Amino acid sequence: MKDNTQNYRTKRTEKYLDHSLMPPCQVACPLHMDIREYVDLVAQGRIMEALQTIRSGNPFPSICAYVCTHPCEEACRRCQVDKAVTIRALKRFAVEFGGDRMVHAEAETTRPDKVAIVGSGPAGLACAYYLRKHGYPVTIFEAHSDLGGMLRIGIPQYRLPREVLDTEAQRLTQMGVEIRTNTRVVSLDLLFDLGYKAIFITIGAHQSLRMGIEGEESLGVIDGATFLREANLGLKPSLGTRVAVVGGGNVAIDAARTVTRLGAKKVYILYRRSRKEMPADPAEVELALEEGVKIQFLTTPVRIERENGRLSVTCVRMELGEPDDSGRRRPVPIKDSEFRKQFDTLISATGQAPQTPSDFRVSIGKGSTIQVDPVTLTTNRAGVFAGGDAVTGPATVTEALAAGRLAASRIDDYLQHRYPLADKEGGESLRGDLMPETIAMIKKIGRVEPPILSLEARVKDFGPDELVYNWETATNEARRCLRCGIGAEILFQDKCATCLTCLRACPYHVPYLDTRGTIQIPVEQCQACGICVAECPAKAIVLRKPYDRRSIDEELEHVLKSAAESRLKTFIIGFCCQYGLFGTGTLASLWREAKAGVWIVPVLCIAKIEAEHMLRAFEAGAEGVFIIGCGEQCARENTAYWVSQRVEKVRKTLVQIGLEAERLQSFVSGITNEDPATELDKFVEQIGGLYLASVIMQEVKS
Amino acid sequence: MIVAEQKPLGEIRRIIAPFERVLILGCGTCMTVCDAGGEREVSFLHNALRVAQSRSADENHTFSEYTVKRQCDSEFLDPLADKIGDADVILSLGCGIGVQAMAEHFLDIPVLPGVNTSFMGMAKEWGVWDERCSACGDCRLEETGGICPITRCTKGILNGPCAGTKNGKCEANKDMDCAWILIYQRLERLQQLEKMRRYYPPRNFLAVPRPKRIMSKASIDVGEGNG
Repeated sequence: MKDNTQNYRTKRTEKYLDHSLMPPCQVACPLHMDIREYVDLVAQGRIMEALQTIRSGNPFPSICAYVCTHPCEEACRRCQVDKAVTIRALKRFAVEFGGDRMVHAEAETTRPDKVAIVGSGPAGLACAYYLRKHGYPVTIFEAHSDLGGMLRIGIPQYRLPREVLDTEAQRLTQMGVEIRTNTRVVSLDLLFDLGYKAIFITIGAHQSLRMGIEGEESLGVIDGATFLREANLGLKPSLGTRVAVVGGGNVAIDAARTVTRLGAKKVYILYRRSRKEMPADPAEVELALEEGVKIQFLTTPVRIERENGRLSVTCVRMELGEPDDSGRRRPVPIKDSEFRKQFDTLISATGQAPQTPSDFRVSIGKGSTIQVDPVTLTTNRAGVFAGGDAVTGPATVTEALAAGRLAASRIDDYLQHRYPLADKEGGESLRGDLMPETIAMIKKIGRVEPPILSLEARVKDFGPDELVYNWETATNEARRCLRCGIGAEILFQDKCATCLTCLRACPYHVPYLDTRGTIQIPVEQCQACGICVAECPAKAIVLRKPYDRRSIDEELEHVLKSAAESRLKTFIIGFCCQYGLFGTGTLASLWREAKAGVWIVPVLCIAKIEAEHMLRAFEAGAEGVFIIGCGEQCARENTAYWVSQRVEKVRKTLVQIGLEAERLQSFVSGITNEDPATELDKFVEQIGGLYLASVIMQEVKS
Repeated sequence: MIVAEQKPLGEIRRIIAPFERVLILGCGTCMTVCDAGGEREVSFLHNALRVAQSRSADENHTFSEYTVKRQCDSEFLDPLADKIGDADVILSLGCGIGVQAMAEHFLDIPVLPGVNTSFMGMAKEWGVWDERCSACGDCRLEETGGICPITRCTKGILNGPCAGTKNGKCEANKDMDCAWILIYQRLERLQQLEKMRRYYPPRNFLAVPRPKRIMSKASIDVGEGNG
């Protein structure tokens, strides 16, 4: 029967055609996670599915949820409207509420070749995870007593709770990864002798760089990596009361904030450039400042002397000169600006480099990093691969995870004697900025940062300082996503009558007529609201993602089938915004414990409901149909207007058929003062009355 | 462009009543643009007819739907042949021309009109259509500042305005602009007010008998006679 409602011409592969473009966030993510998808699922309150999406692109989402440096947020096009979507915090919400720690990972051994992984940092763990998934027996060798590498000894606990790490480690054990801690690998030959067919070196960059100044070896001077290692292993180093940290990267900030938590009274950061050039995450810098860390910009130590059990540090003031190779302005010392400061401890955090045992006999390049082929990740030795900080120099957790994942597939290629397969291209990516006209029409909704512990509670101990969103904040924040790259397109140019409906209907002024008189809908502007799709009189426009196209049709048919199977005689169909009230808000309970005879079709914005959908519900025997939108909560403007237009059209038709117009209602909160739940109750009652009346009428007639 | 509006549902139900299998046939050109018979209206009507049928005991139709690019050219209609085989009647949402073209092309199946073809016009704004041309075959727009008195003046007078104009509106409908006032204002703007002084003699509509035919080639080899 459904077949009839479909035009023959549209029946070709349209249903499954995916023309969506990769959004900038996904391009920016080293793991290329499907961020747009999981943010949208969070917005709908479908947390489990969001977690599933996250897990399919990230082996350790819980870890990323805490410590990812979120390059995606820098790329987010919402920045052009107001501020980026809080992608990392939403992931945190999804892993916490979706129950990531309960996820059970399994793997079977299907291949004979053993693989050794040297180092258990994020790259090593990711590589082990994916190799296990490929079916290889994997052994991880870790020099320290616990897994995690920099995750454990570099990142402070307040940023990444150790339980999270332990859960992931446990999951790897569950998958059958052999873990050998307290085992420092000194020779790769030995591993080959033990029968390993491939080795992945991921030993990180743990060696602090020297500052190269006089007195650096003095007692009381410690390097950042060593300090964080000791602090993170719970060794409470004695620091005194006045502590200076030299450097401006994340390690410097981590060290300073750790020092604060260890009880030092005065903590200074000495950084030779200004705040703008600081490589550390600005949000972390902000938190450090709040916690009382003083940052002395344009200051660098030049000499350290030990006097009377304290450090006397001679510093010099700097000014910024010409940009250097990194694009940042080079600091130049100001003449005769030397001054002295007293500290109990000085922590140097001016950079780190890998330290590869010479017995590995792998070739070492610039900055002591291991040289690898960028495509195959192979070193100069057959069967030896390398990745992570050991290859790139200090980088982010996510980059390391990506390197681990790539290494796993390259090792798989190597062991199967296969030419390395090209990276799976995620399709075309979205380019271009939003036009001012489009930006002007996008509703401005402020970014909501996740809650953070109060200052006192934070510096007291090493507990995590960032809290999780509550349900409502998370879904509202997720709804800010502009859904880049899945907008509308004219799929059937031959059907387009150039009637200009899309151009006139679009709230964002996106479609335009080109000089040849053809309508263009630029994908980089389209907000994927679906209004033109529902309005196009030729049905020539579709959304670029197949799921969005099928959604309402399929949900409706599914619900109608269930309604028909139920024994209830009268039923009412409600199209409800899955984002707003019904998905997550005040009517969520209704959605879950559906009233007898009320069937809910979840829709992703009521503006996508076409007049035909409403009629279809009546055709299947619904006594009443209602539409509930999210009203003021809506991330878009004026969706209710479109619904009211279509409702009026359908009502006119209903009257011609002999059905009462009241059988079709739309409730959009904020439009009337009444609580939608009460309104809905009234409606259900009214429909019941109408049904009774029609039954009586029929009885009378017969 | 040709503008039409869909017939009331009741009327459509009445005219299809004798037939069982109904093919609802849309038109992808003018009828799509004026929201009367494009693919969306076809499926809306299809759904509406099915709702009506589901609420009525004595109707038993099966419907199918299809939309062609243009019903008024027979090449577009050729691929319809196999679909027509499954139908007893065609409910055409094409304009009057489309309906007739269908009837001419498919001689053995009745073709019913689903829209009332109303006029030749344009979109005043989105969803509002205004008549602009009467297809009189003798265009005088160069004399009247690009505003057609034949169409837009209720009386269709060639030498206006008449005494019924009031505050720029027509006596027949006080919401409607008087075409001759519009013409005056436009000519004034174009500095051609002298055209208002000329007298336009009545036209002889009898000289062009209907139906008309226009040929853009030297000779034709099909279609004896006219219609």
